[in-house]
Order: sequence, then C-alpha cells, then structure tokens
Amino acid sequence: MQLSVTPELATSELAPSQLESYVGPDVAALTRDFEALVQLYRPKVFRFALASLRDVDAAETVTQDCFLRAYQARDRFRQDCSIHTWLMQIAVNLIRDHIRNRRFQFWRRTRLTAKPVDLAGHTIADRAKSPEAQALLRERVAAIWTAADRLPQKQRTVFLLRFVEDLDLLEIAVATGMKLGTAKTHLHRALRTVREGIGERL
Amino acid sequence: MIEHLSSDQLSDCVLGQASRTVAQHVQHCPACSAALMEFRESLGEFQSAVRRWSDVQARQYQAGNYRADASRATPRRAPELSIRSSSHQLAWALLIAVVCVIASFVFPRHGSDLIGSDAALLNQVDAQVSRTTPSSMEPLMKLVVEEP
Repeated sequence: MQLSVTPELATSELAPSQLESYVGPDVAALTRDFEALVQLYRPKVFRFALASLRDVDAAETVTQDCFLRAYQARDRFRQDCSIHTWLMQIAVNLIRDHIRNRRFQFWRRTRLTAKPVDLAGHTIADRAKSPEAQALLRERVAAIWTAADRLPQKQRTVFLLRFVEDLDLLEIAVATGMKLGTAKTHLHRALRTVREGIGERL
Repeated sequence: MIEHLSSDQLSDCVLGQASRTVAQHVQHCPACSAALMEFRESLGEFQSAVRRWSDVQARQYQAGNYRADASRATPRRAPELSIRSSSHQLAWALLIAVVCVIASFVFPRHGSDLIGSDAALLNQVDAQVSRTTPSSMEPLMKLVVEEP
C-alpha cells in the first residue's frame, strides 16, 4: 500500500528544520505541510518499526499505515505533545497490533529461523581504539541487540524509544500510554536485562 | 558513602536521573565510572549501528521497489507479445480447419455411413418413445384386447 498525499498537501510551505522545531504545531500547518512532515519523520518511524519488528516489509507497512492514520487523525491532534511523540504513539500501537496478529501466523517461524541481523557489522571502526577494543565494542553491540530481542514487548518498546529514538521518559510515557512510573520501571528492567546480556556474552 | 553502584543506580545514571550521592560516588570511584562509561558507550554505539542499519535497509528497500516498479513497467511490451501469441493461435486454428475440410473430402463415405447409422438409431428411439404402452405392459394389453 502506498501512502497517497493529496495535491494540495504536496506543496510544502515550511522547511523541515522549521517543522522539527514545532512542539505544539497548529492543526492547519500540520494539514498544509503534511508532505514535509512525512519527509522529515518517515526515516524515524521506519527505523523504530524496523528495530521493533526486524522485518523490512513489515516496517514499511507500519510506516505507511502510521502516516495514513496520522493524516486521517490530524484534526484530532490535541497538540499536547510533539509531532514526533504523536507519530511514535501511532507507530507503537501499530507495531503492537502487528505483533499480536503475527502470533497467529505460521510464517512467524520462518522469521525466527531466518538469518539473524548482523548489527555489529554496522558499527564504524574508530581509529582511536585498538582492534581489541573495537572488537569488544562490536560484541557489546551484538549483545545489546540480542538482549533487546529477548525483552518482553513493553520493555523492548520502551528501550528502543529511549535508546534508538532518544525520547525522554515523559515522551515515552505519552507514546506508550503508560504512567511515568510504569515506563520508568520497564526501562530499568530492560536496562538490567541488557546489561546482564552483555555480561553473559563477554 | 555507597560501596559500588547497584544495577538500578547504574540505570539511573544512564537515564540521567542519578541522585547526588550516586553522582558523587561515580566521580570518585574509578570502577563504577569505567563501568558507567562502558555501558553508555555501548548504548551509544548500539544507537548508531541501528540507525545505520535502518538507513541501509531503507535504501535497499527503495531500490528493490524501484526495480519491482521497473519490472512491472516492462509488460508494456505485452501487447506486442499478445499479438504474436494470438497470431499463433489463429494460425493453429486455420490449420486445424483446413485439415478438417480435407478430411471431410478424403473420407466422405465414413461420414455418410455415420449419418445413416445415426438416423436408424433415431428412428428406433422414436419408435420406442412413440409406443402407447410400455414394453413390460404389452402382454397385459394383449389380454385386455382379446377378452371381448
């Protein structure tokens, strides 16, 4: 499914940098500059969906659905959080639904037995570090990636929102619909598991 | 003064929510400071790696989509192909028709024999159908007719 944007939305009036500085944008601007909004936030939503689902096709579907829903719900945007948090809120719900549906699909087994993602291969070599230190860092990254996959869904969501998307605790609470304390507890548990994962691996 | 940081205290430090006591301990404890720095560095590198991986995947997906679009666009030649295939079909149909016509001239008697046998069979059927009394009732009918 391709996200279709109406012709009047295709004409952007705000630069992405201006749009990003919005914390509480007015709905009219949001409607007018939806194309710019898609351009700016699409990589972030895709990244979060991809890190959560580890499936490019599913991540792409979630991303398109996310912007479609955002466009349909733009009039109901209450402006009580940033656009980024609002989009993440939609993405979190879509990802949760996707995972729930996938539990009943037989090809989930295929995914689980598929070749694991070599995230450590995407680390950049730091010349200031010794080869041993670099190898150790790659191992740690791989350990975090493995541990994150084993986290319960809520903990993983909170962990990725914090450590991939750089959302603060309050934004995470809004995006996930959790209470601040609950979000913090999930984040602590996730961090503990991840640290243990690193310890086991090294 | 606390001895060493617990897992939760370390998490608090990573999340930037450490208490003053914990922050002071980190400043003065090389072991905890090193552990915290190592964990932060790992998480930072994890974030960078995920972002790079995501960018690569997005680019590959788009490239794949463009390829798919291009391959979807290729069937624009399809009319030419379909004309060619339909002309093949037409040629075959004509050939079969010609063979049939020739066969009807070469074997005319077989055809007329068949028509004759068909006609005889039809007459037989007509006779059976047009009988007023079913064959199984015929003996009874004879008795009824003979009585007066």
